[in-house]
Amino acid sequence: MHALIIDDSRAMRTILRRTVAALGFATTEAGDGRAALDHLEAGLRPDVCLIDWNMPVMDGYTFVTRVRANPEWRDVTLMMVTTESQHSQIVRALAAGAHEYVIKPFTADAIEDKLRLLGLVRDLPDATRAEVPA
Amino acid sequence: MSAVLDEAPALPAAADVLAIAEEVVATYLGADEPLLEVGPGAPAAAAVVSGSVGVTGTARATVTVELDEAAAGRVAVLMLGLDGIPAPEDVADAVGELVNMIGGNVKSLLPEPSVLSLPVVTAGRVLGAADPVVDLHCLWGPHPVRVTVHVPTSTTSPQES
Repeated sequence: MHALIIDDSRAMRTILRRTVAALGFATTEAGDGRAALDHLEAGLRPDVCLIDWNMPVMDGYTFVTRVRANPEWRDVTLMMVTTESQHSQIVRALAAGAHEYVIKPFTADAIEDKLRLLGLVRDLPDATRAEVPA
Repeated sequence: MSAVLDEAPALPAAADVLAIAEEVVATYLGADEPLLEVGPGAPAAAAVVSGSVGVTGTARATVTVELDEAAAGRVAVLMLGLDGIPAPEDVADAVGELVNMIGGNVKSLLPEPSVLSLPVVTAGRVLGAADPVVDLHCLWGPHPVRVTVHVPTSTTSPQES
């Protein structure tokens, strides 16, 4: 499994990278929606994109609309991970094509639960899981 | 009278803002050292790093977090998983995300629709134009942390660009 982590905060990308790496994901990072589109246009096909909303250059909502407008990327699962917690924003993102929505601050369990709902986390023996660095 | 009340901007409750800040700190900086509100008698930081985000739209507000420099460095170390002394850009990134999470959740307490700005992090205090409607003086371990919410007194604000 491969996750494309899209957030303008390196700190948040680090937290998300540790979280999904512990679930067995390889990761690629982008600091904004435009940089993430560059990865997709270059041929990267992540199983899931974890997308912040408020970013410079291109925000997460615009990224979702751009991905959903391209049939070649229809298999990419899109999950918003953002502080935007107003109901109207959640509805807007889901209507644009996001599959799931996680509000910051989140726990590692919340991310795992959502990825499991999306069928992206299989039940693995504990011993096969990577440790999350302290 | 009721018309005046109807038009008054909704203000976030201090308890709600504190709960948000406590949750962010516990989630990303560790539950062992919770954020504790101690009131205005908290020690003042000599040198501070400030982060702020703005809310514009139906609601207008500025949310700020002030930490002393040592606390800001610890935030960077914890959030970025660093071993050594964090670089200034690491501190700005981590404090920016901290205030982004607090501000974004404060926005959810305000009338919709509204937009959250990108965080701005500076050395020194943020100069607020108005007295804060929420002013939380806290301690995170030995470090003073101040969380404020400023709301303009006038609802007739300039047009957003």
